Amino acid sequence: MQVDASEDKPLLWALREDLGLLGSKYGCGIAQCGACSVLINGVSTPSCVTPIGDVTGASVVTVEGLAAADGKLSVVQQAWIDEQVPQCGFCQPGFLIAVMALLEQTSQPTDAEIDEAVTNICRCGTYPRIRRAIHRAASARPQD
Amino acid sequence: MACFLSRRSFLLTGAAMGGTAMVAAMAGAGYLAAVDMDGPDGFVADDRAVLNAFVTLHDDGRVVVQVPRTEMGQGIHTGLAMLVAEELDIPFDDRISVEHPVEQLAVYANYSGPLRTRPENMHGPLMWTAKRVLSLLPLMNTAGSTSTMGLWFPLRSAGAAARHMLLTAGATRLGVPAEEVTTSGGFVHHAGSGRRIAYGELAREAALVPPPRDPALKPASAWRVIGRSQTRVDIPAKVRGEPVFGADVVLPGMLHAAIRQPPVFGAGITRVRNESEVRAQPGVLDVAVIEGRGVAVVAGSWWQAELAATRLDIDWAATEAELINSAMLASALQAALHGGEAHVHLEQGEVEPAFRPGAAQVVEATYTAPFVAHACMEPMNATVLIRGDGTAEAWCSSQSPLSMRWGVNRGAGWAGVDPSSVTCHVTMAGGAFGRRSEVDVVAQAAFLAARHRGRPVKLMWSREEDIGRGVFRSHAGARLRAALGPDGLPAAYDALVAAQALQQSALRRNLPLDIGGSPNGDRFTAEGLDKSYYAFPGRRVRSRHVPSHVPIGFWRSNGYSFNTFFAESFLDKCALAADQDPLSYRRALLRDSPRHLAVLNRMAALAGWGVPMSPGRGRGIAIEAAYESVVAQVAEVTVATDGEIRVDRVICVIDVGTVVNPDAVIAQTEGGILFGVTTALMSAITLDAGSVMESNFHDFPMQRLADAPDIVVEIIPSDLPPGGAGEPGIVPVAAAIANAIHAATGRRFRSLPLAVTETTGERRTRSVLRDHAA
Repeated sequence: MQVDASEDKPLLWALREDLGLLGSKYGCGIAQCGACSVLINGVSTPSCVTPIGDVTGASVVTVEGLAAADGKLSVVQQAWIDEQVPQCGFCQPGFLIAVMALLEQTSQPTDAEIDEAVTNICRCGTYPRIRRAIHRAASARPQD
Repeated sequence: MACFLSRRSFLLTGAAMGGTAMVAAMAGAGYLAAVDMDGPDGFVADDRAVLNAFVTLHDDGRVVVQVPRTEMGQGIHTGLAMLVAEELDIPFDDRISVEHPVEQLAVYANYSGPLRTRPENMHGPLMWTAKRVLSLLPLMNTAGSTSTMGLWFPLRSAGAAARHMLLTAGATRLGVPAEEVTTSGGFVHHAGSGRRIAYGELAREAALVPPPRDPALKPASAWRVIGRSQTRVDIPAKVRGEPVFGADVVLPGMLHAAIRQPPVFGAGITRVRNESEVRAQPGVLDVAVIEGRGVAVVAGSWWQAELAATRLDIDWAATEAELINSAMLASALQAALHGGEAHVHLEQGEVEPAFRPGAAQVVEATYTAPFVAHACMEPMNATVLIRGDGTAEAWCSSQSPLSMRWGVNRGAGWAGVDPSSVTCHVTMAGGAFGRRSEVDVVAQAAFLAARHRGRPVKLMWSREEDIGRGVFRSHAGARLRAALGPDGLPAAYDALVAAQALQQSALRRNLPLDIGGSPNGDRFTAEGLDKSYYAFPGRRVRSRHVPSHVPIGFWRSNGYSFNTFFAESFLDKCALAADQDPLSYRRALLRDSPRHLAVLNRMAALAGWGVPMSPGRGRGIAIEAAYESVVAQVAEVTVATDGEIRVDRVICVIDVGTVVNPDAVIAQTEGGILFGVTTALMSAITLDAGSVMESNFHDFPMQRLADAPDIVVEIIPSDLPPGGAGEPGIVPVAAAIANAIHAATGRRFRSLPLAVTETTGERRTRSVLRDHAA
């Protein structure tokens, strides 16, 4: 995909304004809340402070890219439904991205590993369900 | 009384109540004919049949429920649609979807908030008139935990009326008497012949059946949807990143705007020093001073607008408020607690005599709480289009389409434009917590839209504007005293609270007219302080208004959020002064309040109250009745020797009356608890030189996953009508934590927040009790 914008434009705004991908959210603009997180070459990264000039040639996955091409939800998304995680849902795309990255690295994370990896902010207070959904997704994922 | 179903029943009701003449005199002749107070009669359009204001049926059997309340995370679209499904006698499945109506019908009004009652209980000419005034606006706000309370009867009635219309249409089609047909699974059945017809096939005929005036509702014993957890209708889209929040509204030709508002509340704008420089930035189309309230940059993209706004060099007008800092505001609170005229909210039994010197053991303490921000994850934003023909349209994640309309009219008015109509689209809201009842961002966007007629303008505040430019929950202080009787229980309880009045501040800012009103006796200032369910022979509650330049707004649980911290911390202090266990002490005080006692007892059992804890750990208890619900919590904390405080677990038992969607009540309670833990340990808005010092999540921090306690929530079954569920969860948390800290350490913290937040790494913090903080 190609974007015609200044190199210092944050990836978040290129996604939202130039590519029409509105799933990644602006929450703070200073890499504090994680609502804008996307996978860059598999690593969960705050797109609000990542200039697009830095991601030339990189693989970028947003929340819109988590389901399969046929629309089938990823294991993590399904776990989010099964545990009825979202409340307002504004921060959840960032959480889903952070958890995708975590489970790629650590297929059966401990609570401590979850605490270390998932540092986004949810104002509605969905944390207990997020933790349960991560464990559910970890046990549902195909093991390699 | 059928309060909404058709004009016909309204006219009957109106005549019966004898209030017609009064309203006609108030609103002018022709009022009754012009305003269809009780919602539209059924009609057919395209592939759908509108059975009433809430229920639309499609030919293929899909049911669209119009839910006139904002979905801001609380699951209200699901809960209210469940009521329709129940009475329509269909399972809560994929055939049901929810829309927030665009049309602002009288029948959608929220009576429960302002009138503090339920539609089904509104009798008499006074209520009749008040209801009609609210309908006329119509006030359809989502606030005060009122949505289920207020629509519990209307939405079930709408479903039952629709079912009645389907039965009638089915019987007619089958050529059998109406009493021989019944419904199940989305069909009208005729047992005698074994024939059945799907709802979708009957929809068009049903829409033309006269609605029943007073449809019978199912008895609770027949419920199959209500009371059973249903998966939320909004969640599948939310895991795909699909919902359209206000911030995600995209319209053809849309312009984007960013804003800078005065750092000192109320300061105006003298001039923009470098307007031409900012106008020359990439993509910038306009730099506009908004009626002394802010300077906006309009550009082709928000990123361009915000980047250009960072360059703005603005001369803010000087005001006296720039001398004000947090210490001065705190002194004003303290002064109010120790002198001046107080408004008496309540005085029962003997109070002053009980405190005579030597008469009893007197316990007395003073508590404080700071200003706090909402910090909704979706920053404030609104999109407004004002067309060349004078019509206006607005899109906003608002809690109140009425506020949106007022906001558009106000902002357009600043630009000399008077819209001929305003159409309001309420989007999904990324958190709200009271903040999105304000007209502010809508008015600003409308002003910009009036300068760019024919093009939608989306204004979004940066996070720094959101946290640093208000509105806030008031700071507050309380002086509490109790005269303990021979049994150690308070013979008299005397509470004085000082805070900045919420109602006057909010109404002055948001209503189209300043209706004045006294800030004294503000009910939000005193709510939660009377502890009416405790058996105190003498009781007095007073308040004092403490004015400041800081704008005060509705904030999840308002006065309860500080008053319950004050009063339940104080109750613990009384128990210990009487050398009694805090649980037993409360049990004794709840001797006349069986509903509260049941909640408390269940919670004590669930929490293992009395089981010894290891050193450095403690358990604290608190209870409150709020929004017609009762909620009790035990917090378990660990305090390290260096003062680090962790809330390990919160056990909560809640009685919300009849439960519609149990899992949603649990989710709201969990969320309220976490909101409360953040507020108790971490949240404070401070001021220096008249300006807010906090600006973003690094200095207005939140609990994160690593910090979050385990939470156990249990619902007590009840057959009372539904109470509120959105706010009770937050209410007792701070007191339960403070009481637990006392149990763990012997130290009593009487000011919120209880701790200071230290940064320990990237997006990692810890909370350290105030007396240990560096």
